Amino acid sequence: MTEPAKDLDALARDVRIHVFREAATTARVPQAPDISRALGRSEADVRAALHELAIAKVLILAPNDGNIWAANPFCAVPSGFRVAAAGKHYWGICIWDALGIVAALGTDAVITAPCGDCGAGMTLEVRNGQLVRSEGVVHFAIPAHHWWDNIGFT
Amino acid sequence: MLLFRDEEHVDRWCAARDLPRGAIITPEQTWRLADGWYKNKVKPDWRRHTLEETEALLSSIGLTSAFWNLRG
Repeated sequence: MTEPAKDLDALARDVRIHVFREAATTARVPQAPDISRALGRSEADVRAALHELAIAKVLILAPNDGNIWAANPFCAVPSGFRVAAAGKHYWGICIWDALGIVAALGTDAVITAPCGDCGAGMTLEVRNGQLVRSEGVVHFAIPAHHWWDNIGFT
Repeated sequence: MLLFRDEEHVDRWCAARDLPRGAIITPEQTWRLADGWYKNKVKPDWRRHTLEETEALLSSIGLTSAFWNLRG
């Protein structure tokens, strides 16, 4: 008989691989019902696995409904940090994650993002692994060892 | 981590929220940080960086001040 904890660990790995592969290939982060159907596991099991992955800081769950907010760097909902790559549009929750999407995909991309102060649009472009176009500066408000205290603000 | 037109815009954003200025880095540094942090995230055998690996990544980008200290 499989031990529950080991089964959950194995499922969490399968869920992680599925979520990130889907996010990368479709530009859409799957949610628990989608994952349940794809892996043939109950939604309750999948939600338990997602909870494990959130505790391990592999992804971020929304505070109210427990859906995936970000399989970071991939944001599940539209944001100001938009990545155009491989004929699709992705979103990151911040400029670091927008660039992280490009790194994770390993492809050329154009990122558009607003100035955090005035909202003016700016463009960054990565080509052949090099940042070939950029504007502005990046501000980290939170010191590194406090990043996960409130990841939504970080 | 937000993108700003320039440091003046950063300071205005901080002042409006009564926050101290954090750390400002270039988009190039951010790209190198993102590349080192996320390039393997989609791979099945991905694993979290160790503390030492993360420190080495930050250091390789020149992020060595107390702000980037991961050990608290």
